[in-house]
Amino acid sequence: MASKTKKVLRVCRNCHHVVDGEACVTCGSSNLSEDWAGYLYIVDPKHSKIAEKMNIDMPGRYALKVR
Amino acid sequence: MTDAEEIKTTIYAMKTTAKQERTVVDNIVKALEDHDEIRVVAVMAPDELKGYVLIESPDSIARIEQLREMVPNARAVVKGEMAFSEIEHFLVPKPVVTGIDEGTIVELIAGPFKGEKAVVKRVDTSKEEITVELYESMVPIPITVRGDNVRVIDKTHE
Repeated sequence: MASKTKKVLRVCRNCHHVVDGEACVTCGSSNLSEDWAGYLYIVDPKHSKIAEKMNIDMPGRYALKVR
Repeated sequence: MTDAEEIKTTIYAMKTTAKQERTVVDNIVKALEDHDEIRVVAVMAPDELKGYVLIESPDSIARIEQLREMVPNARAVVKGEMAFSEIEHFLVPKPVVTGIDEGTIVELIAGPFKGEKAVVKRVDTSKEEITVELYESMVPIPITVRGDNVRVIDKTHE
Protein backbone atom coordinates (compact mmCIF):
# COMPACT_ATOMS: atom_id res chain seq x y z
CA MET A 1 0.00 0.00 0.00
CA ALA A 2 1.26 3.43 -0.88
CA SER A 3 2.48 5.38 2.10
CA LYS A 4 0.76 8.57 3.14
CA THR A 5 2.31 11.90 2.26
CA LYS A 6 5.12 12.69 4.69
CA LYS A 7 3.96 14.89 7.51
CA VAL A 8 5.83 18.15 7.81
CA LEU A 9 7.17 18.49 11.32
CA ARG A 10 6.81 21.84 13.01
CA VAL A 11 9.06 23.46 15.54
CA CYS A 12 8.28 25.84 18.40
CA ARG A 13 9.92 29.21 17.77
CA ASN A 14 10.39 29.80 21.50
CA CYS A 15 12.05 26.63 22.72
CA HIS A 16 13.05 24.90 19.42
CA HIS A 17 11.09 21.80 20.44
CA VAL A 18 9.81 19.64 17.55
CA VAL A 19 6.02 19.59 17.92
CA ASP A 20 3.51 17.00 16.69
CA GLY A 21 0.26 18.78 17.47
CA GLU A 22 -0.93 22.37 17.28
CA ALA A 23 0.86 23.74 20.33
CA CYS A 24 4.23 23.21 21.97
CA VAL A 25 4.08 20.70 24.83
CA THR A 26 6.89 22.37 26.74
CA CYS A 27 6.04 26.05 26.72
CA GLY A 28 2.42 25.95 25.50
CA SER A 29 3.19 28.37 22.70
CA SER A 30 1.44 28.00 19.35
CA ASN A 31 4.11 30.02 17.59
CA LEU A 32 5.27 27.18 15.34
CA SER A 33 7.44 27.14 12.25
CA GLU A 34 7.81 24.68 9.37
CA ASP A 35 11.03 26.29 8.23
CA TRP A 36 13.78 24.85 10.36
CA ALA A 37 17.10 23.10 9.96
CA GLY A 38 19.30 20.74 11.92
CA TYR A 39 17.91 17.92 14.02
CA LEU A 40 18.89 17.22 17.61
CA TYR A 41 17.72 14.46 19.92
CA ILE A 42 18.52 14.93 23.58
CA VAL A 43 18.31 11.65 25.49
CA ASP A 44 19.90 12.65 28.80
CA PRO A 45 20.01 16.44 29.28
CA LYS A 46 21.71 16.18 32.66
CA HIS A 47 24.90 14.68 31.29
CA SER A 48 24.95 16.14 27.82
CA LYS A 49 27.33 18.97 26.97
CA ILE A 50 25.26 19.68 23.86
CA ALA A 51 22.12 20.13 25.97
CA GLU A 52 24.03 22.35 28.37
CA LYS A 53 25.23 24.57 25.54
CA MET A 54 21.73 24.75 24.06
CA ASN A 55 20.17 25.41 27.52
CA ILE A 56 17.95 22.35 27.20
CA ASP A 57 16.75 20.60 30.34
CA MET A 58 14.07 18.33 28.90
CA PRO A 59 14.75 15.24 26.79
CA GLY A 60 13.21 15.18 23.33
CA ARG A 61 13.55 16.31 19.74
CA TYR A 62 14.82 19.79 18.92
CA ALA A 63 15.77 21.84 15.91
CA LEU A 64 19.12 23.58 15.75
CA LYS A 65 17.85 26.50 13.72
CA VAL A 66 14.31 27.87 13.38
CA ARG A 67 13.27 30.60 11.00
CA MET B 1 24.56 13.74 44.12
CA THR B 2 24.69 11.23 41.28
CA ASP B 3 22.63 13.44 38.98
CA ALA B 4 24.93 16.39 39.27
CA GLU B 5 27.98 14.18 38.84
CA GLU B 6 29.96 15.15 35.80
CA ILE B 7 30.32 12.31 33.29
CA LYS B 8 32.90 12.74 30.58
CA THR B 9 31.21 12.40 27.24
CA THR B 10 32.75 12.01 23.82
CA ILE B 11 31.44 13.00 20.43
CA TYR B 12 31.56 10.43 17.65
CA ALA B 13 30.64 10.87 14.00
CA MET B 14 28.63 8.19 12.24
CA LYS B 15 28.39 8.02 8.48
CA THR B 16 24.90 7.51 7.10
CA THR B 17 23.17 7.05 3.77
CA ALA B 18 22.67 10.43 2.09
CA LYS B 19 19.49 12.26 3.11
CA GLN B 20 18.72 9.71 5.81
CA GLU B 21 20.37 11.64 8.66
CA ARG B 22 17.11 12.45 10.45
CA THR B 23 15.82 8.88 10.10
CA VAL B 24 19.08 7.56 11.49
CA VAL B 25 18.79 9.85 14.53
CA ASP B 26 15.27 8.55 15.20
CA ASN B 27 16.38 4.95 14.69
CA ILE B 28 19.34 5.36 17.05
CA VAL B 29 16.98 6.58 19.76
CA LYS B 30 14.62 3.69 19.02
CA ALA B 31 17.50 1.18 19.24
CA LEU B 32 18.62 2.69 22.55
CA GLU B 33 15.26 1.95 24.14
CA ASP B 34 15.89 -1.80 23.84
CA HIS B 35 19.56 -1.68 24.74
CA ASP B 36 20.23 -0.20 28.14
CA GLU B 37 23.91 -1.18 27.99
CA ILE B 38 24.60 1.50 25.38
CA ARG B 39 24.57 4.98 26.86
CA VAL B 40 24.03 7.88 24.50
CA VAL B 41 23.15 11.31 25.86
CA ALA B 42 22.48 13.19 22.61
CA VAL B 43 22.34 12.62 18.87
CA MET B 44 22.33 15.37 16.30
CA ALA B 45 22.19 15.86 12.55
CA PRO B 46 23.28 19.36 11.55
CA ASP B 47 22.13 20.40 8.08
CA GLU B 48 25.60 21.61 7.19
CA LEU B 49 27.09 18.17 7.79
CA LYS B 50 25.51 16.02 5.11
CA GLY B 51 25.82 12.26 5.40
CA TYR B 52 26.82 12.19 9.05
CA VAL B 53 25.19 12.20 12.45
CA LEU B 54 27.02 13.16 15.64
CA ILE B 55 26.61 11.07 18.75
CA GLU B 56 27.47 12.25 22.25
CA SER B 57 28.17 9.32 24.53
CA PRO B 58 30.19 8.47 27.63
CA ASP B 59 30.87 5.01 26.16
CA SER B 60 33.77 3.75 24.08
CA ILE B 61 33.79 3.60 20.29
CA ALA B 62 33.16 -0.17 20.44
CA ARG B 63 29.71 0.48 21.91
CA ILE B 64 28.95 2.94 19.13
CA GLU B 65 30.01 0.29 16.58
CA GLN B 66 27.58 -2.09 18.28
CA LEU B 67 24.89 0.57 17.98
CA ARG B 68 25.63 1.09 14.28
CA GLU B 69 24.95 -2.56 13.56
CA MET B 70 21.43 -2.18 14.92
CA VAL B 71 20.53 0.94 12.96
CA PRO B 72 19.51 0.77 9.31
CA ASN B 73 21.16 3.34 7.00
CA ALA B 74 24.04 3.78 9.41
CA ARG B 75 27.18 3.04 7.40
CA ALA B 76 30.25 3.39 9.57
CA VAL B 77 31.59 5.00 12.69
CA VAL B 78 34.40 7.46 12.05
CA LYS B 79 37.51 6.37 13.92
CA GLY B 80 38.52 8.83 16.59
CA GLU B 81 36.77 11.43 18.68
CA MET B 82 35.66 14.95 17.96
CA ALA B 83 36.39 17.87 20.24
CA PHE B 84 33.39 19.80 21.56
CA SER B 85 34.82 22.97 20.06
CA GLU B 86 34.54 21.39 16.60
CA ILE B 87 30.78 20.99 16.85
CA GLU B 88 30.00 24.07 18.93
CA HIS B 89 29.29 26.24 15.89
CA PHE B 90 26.48 23.89 14.79
CA LEU B 91 24.67 24.55 18.07
CA VAL B 92 24.60 28.32 17.86
CA PRO B 93 24.20 29.10 14.18
CA LYS B 94 24.80 32.72 13.37
CA PRO B 95 21.99 34.43 11.47
CA VAL B 96 22.47 34.41 7.70
CA VAL B 97 21.90 38.15 7.58
CA THR B 98 25.06 38.79 9.63
CA GLY B 99 27.25 41.22 7.72
CA ILE B 100 24.38 42.64 5.69
CA ASP B 101 23.40 46.21 6.56
CA GLU B 102 21.26 48.88 4.97
CA GLY B 103 23.02 50.18 1.89
CA THR B 104 24.95 46.96 1.24
CA ILE B 105 25.04 46.00 -2.43
CA VAL B 106 24.03 42.39 -2.95
CA GLU B 107 23.43 40.02 -5.83
CA LEU B 108 20.32 37.87 -5.78
CA ILE B 109 21.36 34.25 -6.26
CA ALA B 110 17.94 32.56 -6.35
CA GLY B 111 14.36 33.25 -7.36
CA PRO B 112 12.95 35.17 -10.35
CA PHE B 113 15.48 37.99 -9.99
CA LYS B 114 18.49 35.69 -9.95
CA GLY B 115 21.63 37.46 -11.13
CA GLU B 116 20.26 40.98 -10.51
CA LYS B 117 22.11 43.40 -8.32
CA ALA B 118 20.24 45.25 -5.59
CA VAL B 119 20.68 47.66 -2.70
CA VAL B 120 19.58 46.56 0.77
CA LYS B 121 16.89 48.83 2.22
CA ARG B 122 15.88 46.93 5.34
CA VAL B 123 17.19 43.97 7.34
CA ASP B 124 14.91 41.80 9.47
CA THR B 125 17.25 39.83 11.72
CA SER B 126 14.56 37.79 13.47
CA LYS B 127 12.97 36.54 10.24
CA GLU B 128 16.34 36.47 8.48
CA GLU B 129 14.85 38.39 5.59
CA ILE B 130 16.11 41.44 3.77
CA THR B 131 14.24 43.97 1.67
CA VAL B 132 16.10 45.12 -1.41
CA GLU B 133 15.56 47.41 -4.37
CA LEU B 134 16.87 46.34 -7.74
CA TYR B 135 19.70 48.45 -9.17
CA GLU B 136 18.60 48.59 -12.76
CA SER B 137 14.90 48.93 -12.12
CA MET B 138 13.28 52.20 -13.32
CA VAL B 139 10.80 52.29 -10.48
CA PRO B 140 12.04 51.39 -7.02
CA ILE B 141 10.08 48.30 -6.05
CA PRO B 142 10.95 46.78 -2.68
CA ILE B 143 11.46 43.04 -2.83
CA THR B 144 11.74 40.92 0.30
CA VAL B 145 14.00 37.90 -0.01
CA ARG B 146 15.49 35.34 2.34
CA GLY B 147 18.88 36.21 3.73
CA ASP B 148 20.48 33.12 2.22
CA ASN B 149 19.27 34.04 -1.27
CA VAL B 150 21.77 36.85 -1.66
CA ARG B 151 25.51 37.23 -1.97
CA VAL B 152 27.20 40.36 -0.63
CA ILE B 153 29.08 42.28 -3.33
CA ASP B 154 30.01 45.52 -1.63
CA LYS B 155 29.62 46.72 1.92
CA THR B 156 28.95 50.33 2.80
CA HIS B 157 31.91 52.34 4.02
CA GLU B 158 30.77 55.08 6.30
